[in-house]
Amino acid sequence: MFKKIKKGRFIKEAAMVILCAAVIVLGSLGSSQALAEKRFEGVEITVFTQTPPFIVKPVWMFGPDWEKKTGGKVRVISAAWAELYPKMFSSFALGAKKYDIILFPAAWLADFASNEFLVPLDNFIAADPEIDWLDILPVYRERISTYAGTIYAIPMDGDNHIFYYRRDAIENPEHQAKFKAKYGYDLAPPETWVQVRDVAEFFNGWDWDGDGRIEYGVVEAMRKDDQAYWTYFSRTAALTSIPGQPQGLFFDPETMKPLINDPGHVKALENWIEILEFGVPGMINMESGDIRGVYTVGEAAMAIDWGDIGVMADTSPESTVKGKVNYSILPGTTRAWDYVKKTWVDFPEVNHAPYLAFGGWLGAIDAKSDNVEAAYDFLSFLSRPENSYICVTTAQTGFNPCRKSHFEKLAGWYGYGFVYPEDYLGAIEATIAHPNVQPDIRIPGAARYFEALDVQLSMALAGAKTAKQALDDAAKEWERITEDLGREKQLKNYRASLGLPIE
Amino acid sequence: MRNIWGSFTGKKAGRAFLLPAVIILLALTIFPFLFSLFLSFGKVSFLGGLQINFAGLKNWARLFGDERFYNALRITILITVIAVAIEYALGLGLALLLNRGVKGSTFFRVLFFLPMMLTPIAVGYMWRMMFHFTRGPIDHVLPLLGLPAVAWLTEPKIVLYSVILTDVWHWTPLMILILFAGLQSIPPALLEAARVDGAAGWRLFREVIFPLLAPASIAAILLRTIEVLKIIDKIYILTGGGPGIYSESMTLFGYSLGLRAFDLAYGATIAFSPFVTVLAISIVFLLMTRRFQEIGLE
Repeated sequence: MFKKIKKGRFIKEAAMVILCAAVIVLGSLGSSQALAEKRFEGVEITVFTQTPPFIVKPVWMFGPDWEKKTGGKVRVISAAWAELYPKMFSSFALGAKKYDIILFPAAWLADFASNEFLVPLDNFIAADPEIDWLDILPVYRERISTYAGTIYAIPMDGDNHIFYYRRDAIENPEHQAKFKAKYGYDLAPPETWVQVRDVAEFFNGWDWDGDGRIEYGVVEAMRKDDQAYWTYFSRTAALTSIPGQPQGLFFDPETMKPLINDPGHVKALENWIEILEFGVPGMINMESGDIRGVYTVGEAAMAIDWGDIGVMADTSPESTVKGKVNYSILPGTTRAWDYVKKTWVDFPEVNHAPYLAFGGWLGAIDAKSDNVEAAYDFLSFLSRPENSYICVTTAQTGFNPCRKSHFEKLAGWYGYGFVYPEDYLGAIEATIAHPNVQPDIRIPGAARYFEALDVQLSMALAGAKTAKQALDDAAKEWERITEDLGREKQLKNYRASLGLPIE
Repeated sequence: MRNIWGSFTGKKAGRAFLLPAVIILLALTIFPFLFSLFLSFGKVSFLGGLQINFAGLKNWARLFGDERFYNALRITILITVIAVAIEYALGLGLALLLNRGVKGSTFFRVLFFLPMMLTPIAVGYMWRMMFHFTRGPIDHVLPLLGLPAVAWLTEPKIVLYSVILTDVWHWTPLMILILFAGLQSIPPALLEAARVDGAAGWRLFREVIFPLLAPASIAAILLRTIEVLKIIDKIYILTGGGPGIYSESMTLFGYSLGLRAFDLAYGATIAFSPFVTVLAISIVFLLMTRRFQEIGLE
């Protein structure tokens, strides 16, 4: 009945059947995979952040890729910096569900998380191998993105203040000889704030780079209603932070009494007022954007900023200082105020306390969003190592390194235009990894505390009050805000933000 | 078939047509106004949604004990009085010149009106660049003329006048526009009659033109006063209210507390103080206008 089949032919035919079956199975697998990948077909997620290009640019860069992959749509809404907090807060508070995702400054996390505005992300992250969570540096994944032990946000950007100085100014033998003659010690990259003052004075008001224009000692953001308080705290951290002691920068973690008018803070403000004399004229009205412009056209010898000056100096076409800028951890002090013992403590070595000013931009999801899964998927896509690396090495994204992998591959940084990327990344890494690193304030009402301090700092800088008067008045206002928000509640929040036990 | 629109006439129809406007007015003006008044007597919490608890006069007591409020009030009134006075004087002078039909007056009319077309934010940025101490054109030119460079935006004693200068540059054209229209509306026969009666030059201006221009002058001054009392945008861009609080206006103060620090209840309380000032000034001006109209009728 059955035809006898030759062995060779049988093998050929069997092979064909297996091949066809394999093609069918693989094909169906492929199509089901494609179907699975298009799992957000018809879903539109709204991302809200600041006006272009910075911070919103990565969403533009990777939005289309995510749309192609998942079938979802990404809609971007942006607002000016000053409008971000009110718009986010009011949308959450009123349950308006205007935005599925917000990209926002880390300082606001406690405000949003404590009011239960954000989706907890621990379970999403645990089930998501592609985000490579452990690649994110510990300070960002364990402290900056969490509130009371729960992860509420994904770090997109690492932010901290670093110190900039001009290589060509410091390394010039003529300058070195003159400096030593005047100050009695070698001209070198400043290690302490006292040295910063001397170097600023030395380089202030003469044409030390031979370009025919007068240059100045230093440039720092001091403008009211902007970001001056971050510069101030960068100058204060080392004077108020003793290694191993809970943060002495903002409040006493036992009583929630403000520490901002203690002698360490007053000394830092006096130093800051003094530096005005050796800064670029008009510095009191300069915001971060201004100082970046001023520094990269070569008007000052030193500056304090986030990673942005480093990027602009080497990659901006307008820069006149490409390859001339060096970077370091923020200078330190040889003494600091011990807020527990109420006394000055002297150190045999320089005490550094780098400050995670601002803390970086985070991505989070509105707890009332109808598209939580799609929103998380997009955040994860944006944050995963390969995409994140492209973001930090692309101009005008506003994203700075926050993952281990960002520091490991230098090729992207050279391609970006950096002349000495290892020095730039080294300064950032030394800051983030420093054992005495000081995180920014992360409690509800942070914006109110900062606003109250900002006014008083500006008064002191303008000469309307002494440093002590200004900080005493700021402390009174901080006390009033704490009372208003509830001392016990604020104390718990503050201790939680420092990782201290809460009774 | 009965015409359903037949009975829809007279008062009924009028009310129906007015209804959309009334709804919009209630939703966009009256409700926010009453809500912020309500907020000024409350304490706002966001835990578990927006909650407003009654706080009595706490916010108002805080306002009247707040030095920063009195500073902002003083600065706002200073800017208003000085800026509006200069804008009126300059506006009147230029309107009179344009009204005389000097050669090229059409060109100058367009030129004078240009600043008014710009947004306050653009004007703020432009003047911030102009006033820049190391890169700005003004401080570049002053030393060439043998004059010292001026710290326009950073010297506490000068910053207020820099803000006023910016406002004068921006809004004098509106004064010119209103006063020029006022001058154009004076009947030539009236001026001719005055001239026949021997009035000329300063006397003609003082006794005939200026009184006839009074309604336009009051309208122009009232409009500008109301606007300057609410000034925020240019100051925000120029100085952020600094250095210190030497250029902080009432609206900027309210904005900083209400929408930057998100102290909504206190922000609403602050917001009401310019409103009360504007209302009081408006009533005075309206009474003055009525008085002038009565004089005119007499």
